[in-house]
Amino acid sequence: MRSSIVKAVVAGSLLAGLSALPALAEFKLDGDPKVAMIIFGPKNDGGWSQAFDEARVRMEESMGTKIPFVDSIPENATAIRPPVELFIQKGYNIIIGSAFGYSDTFKELAEQYPNVAFLNGAGITNGPNLESFYGRTYETQYLCGMAAAAASKTGKLGFVAANPFGLVNWTVNAYELGAKQINPDATTTVIFTGAWNDPVKERAAAEALIEQGIDVIGQHVDTPAAQIVAEEKGVWSTGHHRDLSEFAPKAVQCSSVWVWDKFLDPEIQKIAAGTWEPSPYGAFFHIGNGIDIACCGDQVSEENKAKIMAERQAIIDGKHVFAGPLADRDGNEKVKGGEVLGDGDLWQMDWYVDGVVSQQ
Amino acid sequence: MDFLVNWISNVPGFAVPFALAALGLILTEKSGVLSLGAEGFMLMGAMAGVGAVILTAQPELALLVAALAAAMVSMIFAVLVVILRVNQVIAGLAMVFLCQGLTSLIATLEGWTSRAIIGLAKLPIPGLADLPVVGRIVFQQDIVVYLTLPIFFAVQWFLTRTETGLKLRAVGENPEAADSAGINVSLYRTGAIAAGAALVGLAGGYLSVAVAKIWVDGMAGGRGWIAIALVIFARWHPWRALFGAVLFGAIEALIPRVAAVGIQVPQYFMLMTPYVATLLVMIWAAMRGNVRLDEPGALGRPHVREERR
Repeated sequence: MRSSIVKAVVAGSLLAGLSALPALAEFKLDGDPKVAMIIFGPKNDGGWSQAFDEARVRMEESMGTKIPFVDSIPENATAIRPPVELFIQKGYNIIIGSAFGYSDTFKELAEQYPNVAFLNGAGITNGPNLESFYGRTYETQYLCGMAAAAASKTGKLGFVAANPFGLVNWTVNAYELGAKQINPDATTTVIFTGAWNDPVKERAAAEALIEQGIDVIGQHVDTPAAQIVAEEKGVWSTGHHRDLSEFAPKAVQCSSVWVWDKFLDPEIQKIAAGTWEPSPYGAFFHIGNGIDIACCGDQVSEENKAKIMAERQAIIDGKHVFAGPLADRDGNEKVKGGEVLGDGDLWQMDWYVDGVVSQQ
Repeated sequence: MDFLVNWISNVPGFAVPFALAALGLILTEKSGVLSLGAEGFMLMGAMAGVGAVILTAQPELALLVAALAAAMVSMIFAVLVVILRVNQVIAGLAMVFLCQGLTSLIATLEGWTSRAIIGLAKLPIPGLADLPVVGRIVFQQDIVVYLTLPIFFAVQWFLTRTETGLKLRAVGENPEAADSAGINVSLYRTGAIAAGAALVGLAGGYLSVAVAKIWVDGMAGGRGWIAIALVIFARWHPWRALFGAVLFGAIEALIPRVAAVGIQVPQYFMLMTPYVATLLVMIWAAMRGNVRLDEPGALGRPHVREERR
């Protein structure tokens, strides 16, 4: 009796699964792909938004067509909808967004326009014609942590970050784990400013870190203020979003950089070919795909640079930064030996590895 | 000891934007015009200051440009509230949004966002700068820090010891009476708006040119609103506003330093402190008696000659 119920349930769910599959594969583009981009901040903000604009220009070249865009679109529906709908009316059928706060509006738009493909950077919503994407920044920040420790004379690294939540905490932890590869005694002191773009607070944080003898400062905020402070004070730094040596040529030793086109180009080809199947969990790409490092500055010796590049290759070949055994700084086991941290646990990361100094 | 010196020597840099902005607001509000546009004027000053540094490479000049830019944009506010007599609360809020958009637009078009600039240099006083402790705290600041006290003296003297200042306050207390006494209410209010906005703009320019040494969208980060709270806390009195500004500057300079030495305090609690301090001083101010007594009598009230009360 029981087994027949189980069978029925299994059969039922299989049927449901089968009937769901064609619905997923049903997405079909009307006509040729025409791409348009909605950029979150000013296109020359020096960071996140500029990385999107630079990818857009490279994609124009590789695709041999213009990709129109609008920039400085804040994260609310009344600002997002008009430009997107205008593009769709003009016949654009692949819309690329670039902000967490676009998630809900993109979901609504995707349901409203089932024949238009939507891609959204840092988003959290997905569907048959909507895919959010983000990069495994812990891989790049791990390598930049190595570069930081290689450049440091004191072994004391600093980190200026916005808010402590999953994707910021993983960069902090990866930075420290990377630093330990070069200098097992390295520490990373992190200051959270509570804002993504408050250069006043970022400068104050960087100066306070330097006062404590810290000589390399990493960051996960949206302005290059910390890099500029490092340059002024004659210490070193690592960057996020883009190669920040543009703003601090002497100070910057390594940057985690977005190369969105390396993810978007193949994705658009798949959409055009009709083989696109957006993941229900979004795309979460590795180093070498949509994200990479710009490394290294003149404070990193050739020997250490070789080590960093070897680790980069190891990660591409499958090495996981958060591989067990791994404990938090209070000694609680977080990853068992032989296992790696799952994606769900990454997004929820609320603990720090040994060597991270922070207020929480 | 190092910690204390590091901390205290950084307080003036953080206090000056609050102090100058609050002083500018006091000047405007003494004429009876409620100015809620401080955040916007601050942004305008900050953006114009960075733009001027990029174009001229002269930070001192850039600070003047910052003050001037804010004064110019405040003329829109003056037209709205003095000539058209629009509701001052709405007009002030509109100025904030206008300036947010305008600064973002100009800076993006000109490519001034996130650019490293030369910034205002420190000006150590020869002979005194090398004194132990005091040297670093007092004599190794920049020119605006040194000038802040004289500016406060000047504004206080202007308001209380000059005929123009007396007339300005008369306009703020009772515009009808001032009008009958032959004072040009519109002229005084317009002048007070421009002068006040210039000080707020200078505060913004100082924030970007001297403190952050960079422009990014919306970088005033609510400091204009804190200045408005400071004015109420100070009961429209310049010296009390300066005290409040130093208090806030001390908190802002302390937060990252507590984190950098690794003292275990919940960080959200630390980030909350300036705003809790704002609330507390407001409560304290309210409990000390009737705030209205110190408030300019006609604050927020448009003056219409035909509508005598």
